[in-house]
Amino acid sequence: MIALVRLLVVGLAVLTVFYWLIRIYSRSLRREKLEKRWEEEGAKGDRDDYVRKGLEEYDASIRPKLIVLVYIVPTIVFAVLFYIINFT
Amino acid sequence: MRYVKWTFWTLVVLIVGGFLHYTLPQRDIVRVVNTYQERQDLHDWTRIFWAKPDDQSTTLVNRDVQFIQTVDARGRPRVYRNEDTGWSWPPYFKFDTANLQTEAEDLKSTAEAPKWASVTHYGWRNEILSIFPNAVAIRRVEGPDVRIIPWLNIVILSILAGMLLLLWRMWAQFRERTIEPVLEDVGEAWDKVDEHADQARGRLRRWLDSWRAKPPRT
Repeated sequence: MIALVRLLVVGLAVLTVFYWLIRIYSRSLRREKLEKRWEEEGAKGDRDDYVRKGLEEYDASIRPKLIVLVYIVPTIVFAVLFYIINFT
Repeated sequence: MRYVKWTFWTLVVLIVGGFLHYTLPQRDIVRVVNTYQERQDLHDWTRIFWAKPDDQSTTLVNRDVQFIQTVDARGRPRVYRNEDTGWSWPPYFKFDTANLQTEAEDLKSTAEAPKWASVTHYGWRNEILSIFPNAVAIRRVEGPDVRIIPWLNIVILSILAGMLLLLWRMWAQFRERTIEPVLEDVGEAWDKVDEHADQARGRLRRWLDSWRAKPPRT
């Protein structure tokens, strides 16, 4: 039982680290893209405003929500593996 | 310095490669000849090569372990231990040791009328350390020459490589977007300090010079 608890705690911790890394990375990529697009569009208007608005759109979109898959996919893989190893 | 670097990278490759080689599943095509159960002493450092099927097993000094004795197509003996890995490392989550032992028992055959089986296992056999690979699954196959493509290993190694690549990209992004701007700021600040110091030094020099002996008037 202790081993199971340890597996769950360590697994959750590792996945959480990955979740935040990917979240921050993905948002940073979007910010960079927005900054570049602002320049390409001829640097019209305030740069910070443009970037902020773009990031708000990004936050509201489905993309950042997909990062939750970091938790879901390994759990499904674990379940499938568990079934195949022990019950087939 | 070059030797230090090479030694370091050789060690890294050896350790990571060894770890993967020990942990990832491999398949042998063998013929089961017998199964047995034997008391194992688990009280020295080779304990790390035996599984921890449940919580009490970490404190036990010895316990019974089941084994599967097999022979491969070239007649070489291959002996596997058959232990639960439970919830601990490596993550095979194997709990069906008794079932596996039964399947192995069912596949027993003689050299004259062989039944070939593929045994999925992880771990190493070492006669001197008395360690055995742990069998995870056994499956009947047509003959000793069936070709087995290690899909699972291909997938696992690809995912690992992808994760490494992702971490590397993340680090590059972090350096470009977070560390370098800070360094630039520091650099600019330092340049200003430097400039300031130069100016101050210039003033000091002029003041000092004003005390120097002047060339005699002619």
